[in-house]
Formats: sequence, C-alpha cells, structure tokens
Amino acid sequence: MADSKTQLTPLFSNSILNRIERMRLSPLRRLTNRSRGEHLAGKGGSSTDFADYRDYAAGDDMRYVDWNIFARLRRPYIKQFLHEEEMHVVIVVDASTSMMFDDKLLRARQLAAAFGIMGLLNVERVSVYAQHQQEGAAWMLPPGSGRPRIQQLLSFLENLGGGGSIPIEQAIQTTLRFHRGRGIAILLSDFLTFSDLTRSMNMLFSSGLEVWGLQILADSEISPSLEGDMRFVDSETGETLDITNAGELLGLYQQHRDWHEDTLHQQCRSRNGRFASISSSQTLEQILFDVLSRKGWVLR
Amino acid sequence: MSFPTFTFVQGAWFFLAFIPLVVLYFLKLKRPRVEIPSLALWQSVVNDQRVNSPFQRFKRNLLLLLQMILLLLLILALMQPFISAGPETTDYLPVLVDCSASMSSVVDETGRTRLDVAIEQAQGMIDNLRGEGKIALFSFASGGRRITEFTDNKRILSRGLEQMKPTHRASKLDEVLRMADAYSRTAPVEKVVVITDGNLNDRVDFELPFELDIQRVAEGGDNLGITEMSARRSGPQTWDIFVRISGSSEDPLLGDLKLFQDGRLIGKEAVSASTEDAERIVFSVDTDKEALLQALLEVGEKDSLSIDNQVWLTLPKPRPLRCRISPELYSWQHAAGVQSDVDIDAAKDPTAPEYDVIISDSEDLKGVTAPVNVYNGVVPDDLSDLISVTDVDVASSDIQIVDWTRTAHLLRHVRLRDVQIGQQTAYAEGATSQDLEERGYEVLIHGASGPLMLQRRRGLETDYYFLFNTDRSTLPYRIAFPILVSNVIQAGMSQASLSEISASPTGVLPPLNMEADRQYKITGPDGSSDTVNSTSTGRLTGVPAATVGKYDIYDDGELVASVGTGLLSQLETSLAPVEELKFTEVEVRTDTAEMVESDLDLWWSLAFAAFLFLLLEWWYFQRMKTEVTA
Repeated sequence: MADSKTQLTPLFSNSILNRIERMRLSPLRRLTNRSRGEHLAGKGGSSTDFADYRDYAAGDDMRYVDWNIFARLRRPYIKQFLHEEEMHVVIVVDASTSMMFDDKLLRARQLAAAFGIMGLLNVERVSVYAQHQQEGAAWMLPPGSGRPRIQQLLSFLENLGGGGSIPIEQAIQTTLRFHRGRGIAILLSDFLTFSDLTRSMNMLFSSGLEVWGLQILADSEISPSLEGDMRFVDSETGETLDITNAGELLGLYQQHRDWHEDTLHQQCRSRNGRFASISSSQTLEQILFDVLSRKGWVLR
Repeated sequence: MSFPTFTFVQGAWFFLAFIPLVVLYFLKLKRPRVEIPSLALWQSVVNDQRVNSPFQRFKRNLLLLLQMILLLLLILALMQPFISAGPETTDYLPVLVDCSASMSSVVDETGRTRLDVAIEQAQGMIDNLRGEGKIALFSFASGGRRITEFTDNKRILSRGLEQMKPTHRASKLDEVLRMADAYSRTAPVEKVVVITDGNLNDRVDFELPFELDIQRVAEGGDNLGITEMSARRSGPQTWDIFVRISGSSEDPLLGDLKLFQDGRLIGKEAVSASTEDAERIVFSVDTDKEALLQALLEVGEKDSLSIDNQVWLTLPKPRPLRCRISPELYSWQHAAGVQSDVDIDAAKDPTAPEYDVIISDSEDLKGVTAPVNVYNGVVPDDLSDLISVTDVDVASSDIQIVDWTRTAHLLRHVRLRDVQIGQQTAYAEGATSQDLEERGYEVLIHGASGPLMLQRRRGLETDYYFLFNTDRSTLPYRIAFPILVSNVIQAGMSQASLSEISASPTGVLPPLNMEADRQYKITGPDGSSDTVNSTSTGRLTGVPAATVGKYDIYDDGELVASVGTGLLSQLETSLAPVEELKFTEVEVRTDTAEMVESDLDLWWSLAFAAFLFLLLEWWYFQRMKTEVTA
C-alpha cells in the first residue's frame, strides 16, 4: 500500500509502515465483541477454520452436517468452525507534560499509530484517547475499523500535542466513560504518577479490556546523571523538591524505579495483560520489531 | 597536660548562633533548578532517605559542615581557651622569691641566672591568676622585703618582678616567712610558695602556720669562691692573712688567688678546691699602719658565681690594748701587767673616755665605756631581787664551784675545781636560772646555791659579772687566774680587732671608730652613697653594705677610711641545695618543681584554623559553583 516515494506520515517511514501492515496484535486472551470480526473466537463459528465435531441436534443448520462422516458412521455430526469476532483496540496515549521530555510523546504517538494500523488492518475497532489539556485540540479518536480509518488515525496522532497534568489514572477513567467494548487497552505512558493505579487497572479489566502497559521513559529518567544539590521542579505541577547531594541518591532512585516497574508489571500481569518498559531513545524499529516482537506483543 | 579551659566561658552563648546558621543555610541555599518530568519517583526516594537517615542531609552537606566548623572554631577562639601550664592561682598566694647571692649563679650558656629562672616561674604563676586569686610578691635574702601587696593586677606584679635583683647576701628564710605570716592575717592564705635554688640553711626557726610549697629552680654550673678571710697578728707589725677557698663541684676547680694591699699586689697563689676539699691560703703582711686588703680570686669560665670572688679586709693600725682596772684590784692588775701590748690604767679616775677592756669592782664605770667589761664582786642592780650575796667563813664553810661553761670565751682552759670562795650567792626564794636568762643574763659558773658568774651581751659590748669578789676566794692563787685574765685580754683585743680580725660579710659594715658626732658620707662599690652620723663616742655603726666591694668614707669630701665586704658564705658559694628544710615541727621537702610556664593560649591557633577552613570553604564553594555552571 505504501508508496516508497511519498511519505504517508511523518510519524515513521513508509518502509516501517510496510512492515507494520504485516503485523498483528497478539492478545493473551480473546476478549472480543460478538459482532463479526476477524478474530477467531473460541466458540463455534462460521469461519473456514475447523474447530471440532459434535452430535447433531434438532434445529441445527443442516449445511454444517459432515456428510462424509454420516456416510461412514451413519450418524449425523455437525462440523464446528471457529467464530470470527470483532476486537476493540483502545489506545490510551498519555499526553501530559511529563511525556514531552526527550521524544517520549513522539515515541508514544508512533507506537499508537503502529498499534492502530495493526488493529485496523486486522479489522479491529480501533479508538485512541489522548489525555492532554490543550484547548480546542482533539483528544479522542472514536472507535472505527477498516483500512480507510488509517488516514484518520494518522492524522489524529500527527496533530496530537502534549501538555497538562492529567495523570494516567484519570486518563483511564475518562477513557472508560466513553468506551464500550472488549478487547485490548494499550496504555502508552511513563506511569509517573503519585497515585495508585490498582483501581484504574481493575476498571479496565472489568470492562473486558486486556491491559497492555507500555512505559516510555527518557534516558534522563532511566539513568539520571546528577551531582550536588539541586531543586527539582515538577514539569506538570510546578512543585519543587530540594535534593541534597543527588549523586548519592541515584542508587536509591534506581531501586525505587525498579520497584515501580515491578509493581506496574505485576498489576498488568495479574489482569491477564502485558507490561514493558522502553526508552524513548530507542528507535521505533528496535521497539516494534525487536523488543515487542520478542515479548510476543505483536506477531509478524 | 591538662584539658583546655576557657577564659571567657560566657562566650559559649554564641553557640546559639548555630541555629540561625543552619536555618539560614537551608533558606538561602542557592540550588540549581532542574525541571524533571515528574517528582513522583524522586519524592519517594527523598521520603525513603529521610526515614532511613534523618540527619543525612547534615552529614552529607559538606559546605554546611565547613561553615559549622568555621563557626565552632570562631566561638572557641572567642572563649579564649588555654592549656594551663601549671596549677591555677585561685587563692591568696604569697610568693617568696629567693634573691640571695647564689641566685646570681649562671645556669646556662645564655647567661641566665637562677634568679632569671625564678622570675620566669613566678611570672607563670602571675599569668595563671584566675578568678579571685591574688598574689603578693616578696623577695628575700638574709632579710625579707615585700614587693607588692596582694593584688590580681598582673601589670603591677610583673613590674614587681622586674624590681627583683640579686643581692650579695646569704639567704635566710626565717624573716620573710614571718613577714608572710603577718600578711596571712590580713588575707586568707593557705599556702606560701617559695621559689629558691634550695641554697638555704636546712634548719628554719619558724613554726609553719600554712602550707609551704618550695619550688626549686634548676641548679647552675660549678663555682669557686672565697668563703673566709681573716687576719691574725703574728708580730707587732705583722699579720697572717688566712683565705679559705671553697668549690661547689666534686672535681677540683682551679683559680688564682691574688692579695692586694691598698691596691698593690702583694701575693698570688694558685688554688684549687672542691666540695670535699677546701683550700686555705696564708699570706704574711707587714704594716705599721691601717691597711686595706683585697683578696681576689680569678677563675676561668666555669665559675658561675662571680660575687664571691673578692673579699675586703681592713687591718687596723697596731696599738697596745687599753685596759682600765680598778685601783683596788691588785690581783687583776698584776695578772694583766704581765701580758704584752697592754696599757693598764689603774688610776683612781679614768684617764681616757674609752677603753678596750674595763675590769671594775663597781658597776659604776665613771662614764667610760669598753666593749669588754668585767665586774668583780658586783651583782647587777636589775638582779638584786633574784640574787643575794653573803660573806661566809671559808674555814667553816665549803663554798665551791659546782660547774662552769667551759666553752665560754672567758673560761677557756680555765680549771675552777677546788676553788674556794668566801662569799655565798643564793637565789631568792622561787628564783631560778631561767629568771636570769629572761633578763638577758647567762650563768657561766654555777655554785652550790646560786650563780657565781654571769655574762650579758649588750649589742657589741659584753659584760662579765663575778658575783663574788675574786679576792675573797682562792682563785687568784690558782693557775687558772692568769689564764682567765689572759682570756679577758684576748677578748678585749679581739673586740678591738687588735689580735684577730675577720673580713665582714655583706649586710652592714663593721663598727668604725671615727670622730664623735660628725656626719660621714659613705660611697659604696656600686656608686650609691649614704650619709651616717657617728655617735657621741665616735662609733660609726649600722652602715648598710648590701654589695660586695669597697666602701669609702668621706668627711667633708675628704677620704678618711676605706672598708670592704665580701660574700663570705660557705653555703652560698657551695651552690648546693638542701633536700629538706627542718622547721620547728615539720619538715618540708624542697623538690625541684617543673618550670611553671605561661598558659598556652589556643585562641590564635583556633583563629588560624578558622581562617584555613574559611579558605577551604571558599575553594569548595567556588568548585561547586563551577560544576553547577558547567
């Protein structure tokens, strides 16, 4: 589809887009809607993929009787096929001010576009919710499916700016107020919040959404290089914190970051989800085709 | 080494300045502002850090630490800490500094004397004055002198120390201790400090009412000096001069002894002496007139005390002894007449106003005087209530001499046993020899019922009282009598310096016979002059002579006599300290005290350290500032 000479989106190159088009999301559980889609449901369906046999029961559609079996065994058996159902892909992009450091938001937009394209090309219903506080800017891309939706998706993400201090848990709750449908909730955030995410995770899970948390951190957050006394200023709230001899606190900082990451991982995994932490300095190719592919997030 | 103490303890209030320092430090601390995506992680980190180590920020904040150390050093410097070099002087403390001749001895190659060391030690005590402590300074040699009252004014005390000069006198502790005792009644004195070289008489006639702390200064080097010089007439115009040289070291010290007569060298001898072996040199001098002798000892560099190297001695003009004997005392006249060089005046009335010896049978001397008076058969008027004399029959009674003082000058070689006496002396009822002593009389001859001979000293004069008349005894017929008379004559000659004469030690000049009732000017060896009047009898007495050397006596600007003095103290020349002083009831050790130095002030060290910390802090601040900028 993508023309190698005309750049379809500034978010990534056409070559990457071509590779994305051949990839699919790989949910751990098949949480789908009953409406038809391209996801094979566990229950019987009408797709071409064979699932099982069962005894014929009165009222069954005669078209699904396996006549070859009937000829050999003289008993009618119904052939069952996997049911293809529609799956929602809810992409929540944290566009607060904290994501505006070191290409974090850019990487989040790129990944959101990639996940969205994978979903749309796989006939899923893709919606995007971006949490920011920009006046008059769009913050939601309603659920939609089909290839034509790709352009809208890209356009929405290309124009997505950042700002504000909406924490991720509030972003999730806002999303759930508008969203209905089972599927996957992909959270693209740095998850740097003062609050506990347990409630928000529970709400996502109870809404039938598989929680995929992708933490995007800048290198200055993963391996800060600080020395001496300084006053930290929160980019979102403007609050300050005096640090004395920051160099000696880096060890403790790493412990807390690891613990925070483990907590997020635990919260996602306990809700049949996934969690990964990446650096904004990693390229999109490295993230998509290496990290997430190896972790089984996407299928090629 | 004691712990540091503080002069200005109230300065500790400045430690409260730490509070605003810490507060202002954190308020005014200029931290670089760093915008980060979120404080979420850092807030938890900081919370965790505060919980685990609430004081970590103080420990890790080097700049604050430096500032606190700087402030600490400044406050400590303000409190003026010092390390006390010795015990603090917190009470009323009399300090007695020995200024005797031995304190002039040199203790080291720099030429410091013992007195210099003693003054430094006393200065240390003055510097250590604390609180209500006050010091009174005394100097002493043969006598005591108060230099300052009790005061805590260090300037006055230091000035008092500057006044202390070494004297040419032997040391004697008694008098100055009595002075200190008198002062102890005006102030609460518990202890008296004596700073001395220990060159003292080991027996002190004083009952200590306070604790005595004797601090001995360091001993000096070796010394050789003249400790004795005397002359004895060996012929009508010939004198034997005896000079004794003593040393202070175990190894003999060498020197040359020179004898000058009226400034002219008349003899020279090489001498050597040690502590064990003094040397006695004899010179023979012929003179028919008064002569002034000077013995001068020349010693090499080893001699640490120079003032005992010269002694002056005046030889009197040879003359016969003037002896006045009462006309009725034939036995005495006869016995004295056989003595050589004796002019006897036995006239009814005296022919001269002054004699060398008077032998009288009456207490009334008819207006004449002599340094030696012998009364025969006379009971002193002031003893008439204690002693009575009665005549007895020699044949029927046995009045004999029981005992006599054989060491008395007049009774040397006189054997009185079996002498019969025709008069009996008896004590009045209840009277004893102690009553006589209380009135200044000493019993020389004891009889069975009372004293037979008394002696009384009155200044330079000595009176001898035979309470019985010798002519009413068998004494004139005994061999002891001419010996007795000879002793009297010798005593007179000795008193008149006609047979023996000793050099005078420093203190006062020996009595001089000058014209009566005249004013004389005496010029000392140090250039000082004094004016003294002679008595009606022409005696010139009580002339102070504190310095070794020659004293010239002028009458209306004309030199009429010259006399001299010398140190002449075996104790001072020996420079040897005594280990223990024996007082009336107690003994006090004269331990060598450690040098009391001035307190070691620490404030300047702390101030210097504070300056270094200031530089360090400045360097650290600049470095930190550079890093932040970078």
